[in-house]
Amino acid sequence: MSGPWFIETLARNGDVLQRSRVDTLPIRLGRGYDNEFIIDDDYVAASHARIVMDAAGRLVLRDQGSRNGIIHRGKRLPEVVLSGDTVVRIGHTSLRVRAASFPVAPELADRTFHRWEGALPGAAGVLLTGCFALFARWLSDTQYFEFVRYFEALAWGVGAALLWSGAWAFANRLFGRHARLGRHLFVFGCGLAALAATALLAATIAYAFSLEAFTHYASHAATLLVAGMIYFHLCTVKPQNRRRYRWIAAGMAVLGSSLILIFNLQRSGRLADELYMAVLLPPEVRVSQDHGIDEFMREVEGMKESLDRGRGRKPGEDELED
Amino acid sequence: MRPLPFATLLFLACSLAGAAPVAQKSSPGTGGGKPVPQPPLVIPPGAPPATTPPAPGPGETDETAALPTPSTAAQDLYSAAKGDLLQIRMLLKNGRSQSTVGSGFLVGTSNLVLTNYHVVSQMALDPDVYVGEYVDTDGKTGPVELLAVDVLHDLAVVRVNREGTGFFQVPDHPVRLTQGQYLYSLGNPLDLGFAISEGAYNGVITRSFYDQLIFTGPINSGMSGGPSVTVSGTVAGINVSKRRDGESVSFLVPVRYAQELLRKVAAQSRPPKNFNPLIAQQLLAHQRDMIDRLLAEPLSIKTMGPYHVPVRESQQLRCWGRSNFRLEAEYTGDSVSCAMEAAIYVSDTQQTGHVSMSHTYLRSASMHPLQFAALASSQFRVDRIGSSRDTRLTRPACTEQFVHTASLPLRAVTCVRAYRKFAGLYNFTLLTASNDDGNASLQSRLDLAGVSFENGMRATRAFLSALGRSRPRAPTQAARR
Repeated sequence: MSGPWFIETLARNGDVLQRSRVDTLPIRLGRGYDNEFIIDDDYVAASHARIVMDAAGRLVLRDQGSRNGIIHRGKRLPEVVLSGDTVVRIGHTSLRVRAASFPVAPELADRTFHRWEGALPGAAGVLLTGCFALFARWLSDTQYFEFVRYFEALAWGVGAALLWSGAWAFANRLFGRHARLGRHLFVFGCGLAALAATALLAATIAYAFSLEAFTHYASHAATLLVAGMIYFHLCTVKPQNRRRYRWIAAGMAVLGSSLILIFNLQRSGRLADELYMAVLLPPEVRVSQDHGIDEFMREVEGMKESLDRGRGRKPGEDELED
Repeated sequence: MRPLPFATLLFLACSLAGAAPVAQKSSPGTGGGKPVPQPPLVIPPGAPPATTPPAPGPGETDETAALPTPSTAAQDLYSAAKGDLLQIRMLLKNGRSQSTVGSGFLVGTSNLVLTNYHVVSQMALDPDVYVGEYVDTDGKTGPVELLAVDVLHDLAVVRVNREGTGFFQVPDHPVRLTQGQYLYSLGNPLDLGFAISEGAYNGVITRSFYDQLIFTGPINSGMSGGPSVTVSGTVAGINVSKRRDGESVSFLVPVRYAQELLRKVAAQSRPPKNFNPLIAQQLLAHQRDMIDRLLAEPLSIKTMGPYHVPVRESQQLRCWGRSNFRLEAEYTGDSVSCAMEAAIYVSDTQQTGHVSMSHTYLRSASMHPLQFAALASSQFRVDRIGSSRDTRLTRPACTEQFVHTASLPLRAVTCVRAYRKFAGLYNFTLLTASNDDGNASLQSRLDLAGVSFENGMRATRAFLSALGRSRPRAPTQAARR
């Protein structure tokens, strides 16, 4: 192993805060100005430690009789053998020493689509959000047309998009290198569009085929989509941690769904979000067959048994039967 | 004056007997006899109760001679009756603090006291938690023992450890009253002290399910269960309620129901231990009568646009209509709702034996079908069917289907809840929405409170089958647009 050597001070998360090159051994470390590597740390002695080559040709960090010593893996040691990945703490400073010959990991394949950054995805995201806001406003609009109501909806939508994406961009600048506001806006816009499409689709399927479960449990699809959205935001911040984020997003989805189920159970004694499907769509959408009144009343009669069982239980002990 | 908003009217129409039971309730926080006025619609007295009127100002005279001389009849009556007049209090067993206050009177020379069921309801429903006590006009107190209740007519008989002087005579035969005849109502209004108020008998009310006498005189909270007597001291009725929205419009339970209850007491060897099954029986009898009367003849049909909707309009079930035509909206919504003006009081928080139905016809020529679908869906969504945390009922069980009546395809939802304390009683709710036109929606609702399962099914089926439309829409017409 030969020089030059690089001494790196590290942040807690492993990021390199400062790196300096020293060409010859031994290297003296400390707060004093007669050191090769000066550590600006009040908990470090003027002449704290020294890096030398031992007989076996290993790089060794030796304590020079300091008060706080050298800490490696939580233990104070008089000397520590330094491989390229050994991190030692001197005072409040974490250090690592690597030789020029230290092998680094191969470069990552760049899958980032660099043309889809900045204004273009940002505009697309804002456009999607705006369309969603206008559509939601139009759908629930029962009054005579007034421009200002639509403008208001648009302002709220875009404002929310900027707020949400702004927070993510801030985190991105903090933990990644760039803000990537455009990308975050695009993720938000796509998320909203997916949420709207899923809700509409679920309502249509539920109504058309009389599959009420699609609206009874619609909130879980929404939870899944929101978790997906957060996954894409996280990947935008740090693309190399994709695999970990997948687990985090899945965990959030499971947690969200469980919370919804528990909340429903607490509130109404049911797992479903609603007592019955309230969706009414134009009759042309219907596919399933109508039932007769007799059939309906038979279904109603079938509820008697479970109701009478429920009567005997104490309030709050309603067990799940459907 | 601005006309009352519809919601208020509807509330009034639905509120118990269109009237407030006048047992007085003191909230647990305020100890002693501090009267708490009934919250929503009781007209507050000029000064808050229990405060002394301010001293007269320099310009005001303070001559008692300026007051009108009291009616001698009332004077004589009160002095003769006060020995037999009692206040009935419900006390919390733990701590013996009062929770409701009403009145009662000793019948003849017996040790039986007549009062309202709603005065003693807590004792009847939760005998482990509440205990009764009487206070006479001299301030002496003693225990009361519940012997019998008549929930439907709101009457109860309790036994006390003293005997009446024989002033209040409950006659064996019905009392004949003429309209305008003076009656004197006795009791302890607002827990302020015993009082007598003068008023006139004004006939029998037919709006409530069971006959009640109209008494145009003041009856206030706390006077419930007190007697209303003729000038000769014959009991004509028992104070029960007043209209919150009226002035001195009060109601009495006719004395003949009290006679029946007293006969029952005479026949029974000892009082029942648990009144809940008895109350359930009475409620079951009530719902039989109510549903039989509702379905005695086919429901009458009204038309709303092309739709035929069933209603029942009678003395007991009154209908109100309303429209949103004044709203600046792209759609029109007309609605008819019919509700019984009376319900059976079971407890402070539970009233039952009630039927209501409503229809709303929404239509729009200018809205996109998707917009209209959103509107119809939001109208069809009833967030809760009764309070979901109501512990006296089980959680609702619902059935939902697309149903085709004789002439109308619709979405139907029936939700049923069972009463925990009263076996055999259920609350039924039917919600329907027509499903034949993308630009019009007929949404109907039927609520049956406190009915047997069979009767609930019977009424639901009758209501559902009667929904229809005049001319089934041709498919081509539906597809155009």
